[in-house]
Amino acid sequence: MNFTKELVDDFALKLLIGLREEENQMVLDEFEEIEHHMDLICQIPNISSVEPMTHPPVLFDETLREDDFVEEMPVEDVLCNAAHKNLSSVIVPKVVKE
Amino acid sequence: MKSAIKKLQEDYAAHRVTPLQVFQDTLLKARENQEKCNSFVTLFDHVEESSQRGDLQNVVYALKDNFSTKGILTTASSNTLSNYVPVYDATVYQKLKDAGAVLIGKTTMDEFGLGGTGLTAHTGYVFNPLDTTRQAGGSSAGSACVVSSGVVPFAIGSDTGDSVRKPAAYCGIVGYKPTYGLISRYGLFAFASSMDHVGVLTRSVYDAAMVVDVIKGKDEKDMTSIDSSSMHLVESLVHANHQPKKLFYIKEIMDITKYSKPSDELKMTFSLFEQLTKKAKEKGISIVGESFDEDLLRAIASTYTCLTCAEATSNLSNLTSILFGPQEEANDVNEMMMAHRTKGFSSLIKRRLIIGSYVLQKENQEKYFINAQRVRRLIVEKMNALFSKYDGLILPCSEGGAKYIDESKNHTSDDLRILENHMAIGNFGGFPSITIPCGFVKGLPVGINITGKVLDDCNVLEIAARLEEMIAYQNPLVKEEM
Repeated sequence: MNFTKELVDDFALKLLIGLREEENQMVLDEFEEIEHHMDLICQIPNISSVEPMTHPPVLFDETLREDDFVEEMPVEDVLCNAAHKNLSSVIVPKVVKE
Repeated sequence: MKSAIKKLQEDYAAHRVTPLQVFQDTLLKARENQEKCNSFVTLFDHVEESSQRGDLQNVVYALKDNFSTKGILTTASSNTLSNYVPVYDATVYQKLKDAGAVLIGKTTMDEFGLGGTGLTAHTGYVFNPLDTTRQAGGSSAGSACVVSSGVVPFAIGSDTGDSVRKPAAYCGIVGYKPTYGLISRYGLFAFASSMDHVGVLTRSVYDAAMVVDVIKGKDEKDMTSIDSSSMHLVESLVHANHQPKKLFYIKEIMDITKYSKPSDELKMTFSLFEQLTKKAKEKGISIVGESFDEDLLRAIASTYTCLTCAEATSNLSNLTSILFGPQEEANDVNEMMMAHRTKGFSSLIKRRLIIGSYVLQKENQEKYFINAQRVRRLIVEKMNALFSKYDGLILPCSEGGAKYIDESKNHTSDDLRILENHMAIGNFGGFPSITIPCGFVKGLPVGINITGKVLDDCNVLEIAARLEEMIAYQNPLVKEEM
């Protein structure tokens, strides 16, 4: 793949991250090598016929809990780290523009 | 069996020391350690006796800064959480409180656990207490430092690739990551959920067993936790019957001819391993070589990078500054979130997340992400086949002792990628895995790692304890009775 500054910025933007010039360059410098190493994954013979493993094969208890009422955390606790709030709401910059 | 925790408890019982004396001494040592190593993000001014009469009553400890602690600053060593004070306790912290353990502070780590050096915290580098020009290893860097320096007998860490076991090796202590699900992760900040484990750092295998006996157990708040009520780690260590054990090492990793320019450190580490193999045989532990597909070995590091970066991309998406974290002035919500993440994340985190974004792009998903999950299965299945013949895998943890902080002084070679990353196998399969000190190379401690099959923690710890006794390693900073 031909990595460009614009492509790297696009990957970053999808994550709501901005890159400084030097950070973008760092990613560009690393990416050829990263892709080379990533390609090792694809070089395993017959890899496409293997079932993907998403988590360790440990036997979890998959029983659903009872649908009982439980006391949850008070709203004021949940919001205590928010920078701006009003009663049970978080205040953010206006979303709908004039 | 040596045990700093048992020794402290005996001292309390015999009235040789009071908790207050221990706390004062601990805080003094902790401040000195903070000056020297930068091990803490938060270090308390004073601590109080516990009224809980549990198994760890008034035993002091430190907790990695990615465990939620109600009312105590918890940053995960990131600027994005530099002012975050949790409103609930992680289950591990709650269990330790219930057992009477006394927390003295929260330890520095690689930001969100995404690093193996201890050099990426928002509060600066963590320095190895045995040589401050060296890395402590990461990501549980501060936790390893405070145990190695004798500040506390145990600390809690988390391990996604080798984040408990590598710093333990670099700092000359024990690092134990139990079977996936044995310890609840409720309140542990997620990095890569399919590989994150809680682990402990101690100066002996016995102490690791003691602490895990306290913190393990099924937790309604963590659906991936498992019932282990029939597993008693300390009891099984004490009543071990010393049956013969059979371990294997991976021939392709231990063959020195596979390394184009082997360093002196590598040769000395391999020589220590050879000596250990001979000694172990005399004590009923046979260690033999087994072959492992080299394509799979070469793919370990890439598989780890691909899966963890992808999972981190999702797990760190809640860092928006809307509910927590320092907020930037902005004209709209997107701009506000972007400013927070751009300013808050270090360059390393940004690079890792971009790799995650790249492998998750529609056109790359099958090629990288799904194929990495397939490689994970092949590695885990191969390991399980080997575990049907052996009690465990044994290998050195790295090329030699702790790496320099100044990266330009370190050996960098593609040849070393497998040796330096093999412990991630323990996370791929959720296998119990422990690192113990094995001796010194050029004056620095080096570790040996033992990994066993899922839920075979008692066996893994028994083997580690027998090897520990055989090696008779002495921590240069803490002279302990054997």
